Amino acid sequence: MKPEMRQKLAREPFAEKVRKVAQLVRLAKTFPRSSRQPGNGTARGRNVMLETGRF
Amino acid sequence: MAGIYAPTQIWYSSPIMATTEPANNLPLADVFRATNELVAAGLIADWALGGALAAIYYVEPFATYDADIFFIPKDQGLTAGIPEIYAYLQKAGWHAEHEHLVIRGFPVQFLAAAGLTDEAVREAEHFDFEGMPAKVFRAEYIIAIAASVGRTKDKARIEQLLSQADFDKSYLADLLQRYKLALPT
Repeated sequence: MKPEMRQKLAREPFAEKVRKVAQLVRLAKTFPRSSRQPGNGTARGRNVMLETGRF
Repeated sequence: MAGIYAPTQIWYSSPIMATTEPANNLPLADVFRATNELVAAGLIADWALGGALAAIYYVEPFATYDADIFFIPKDQGLTAGIPEIYAYLQKAGWHAEHEHLVIRGFPVQFLAAAGLTDEAVREAEHFDFEGMPAKVFRAEYIIAIAASVGRTKDKARIEQLLSQADFDKSYLADLLQRYKLALPT
């Protein structure tokens, strides 16, 4: 997000920002981030998996 | 987007609200009302909102899962009157869950202020939230407290406040000097 947009959001009234926090939390709970394995999806992670035999 | 509006037992459910109709906001006004009642009941001397929600007062909104209320205890003993605070709020319908007291599914942590946080409460900014009088830490104190804690998320919070919040640089410098703190490089 552009810094100007972030600044604009920061200038919103607190009550409006609190409403947005509630929306963000609702979204985070509805669409949780997939659990991360150490290094999963990275070249290093793949190497570790190959070295340790853990997939 | 049925998932977003699916009934849930956390956050949006409440004994006074149909569980199929989620609240679209945090019950912050209820939190402030109850905390003001603690002052009126003589259980705490003063209070202010700290933590992530206090930072959000000054910066762009981000997800946070609880509220931190810092209070100046009336009871100067070891417990800082926390058992009495718990008892009072539980009578008012809140319930305890680990280190939080929960209202309408929203966890709130009551923290006894001391040192830097005590000063932060005394110097806090007054504001009105949905008709409820409240106080929030000044941005300078949020930065100083984050510098004193120093976790990764605190460093991110400092960066965010420095770039987005209006604050008094000399006030912050004085605060950092008095409490022997430094901003992360």
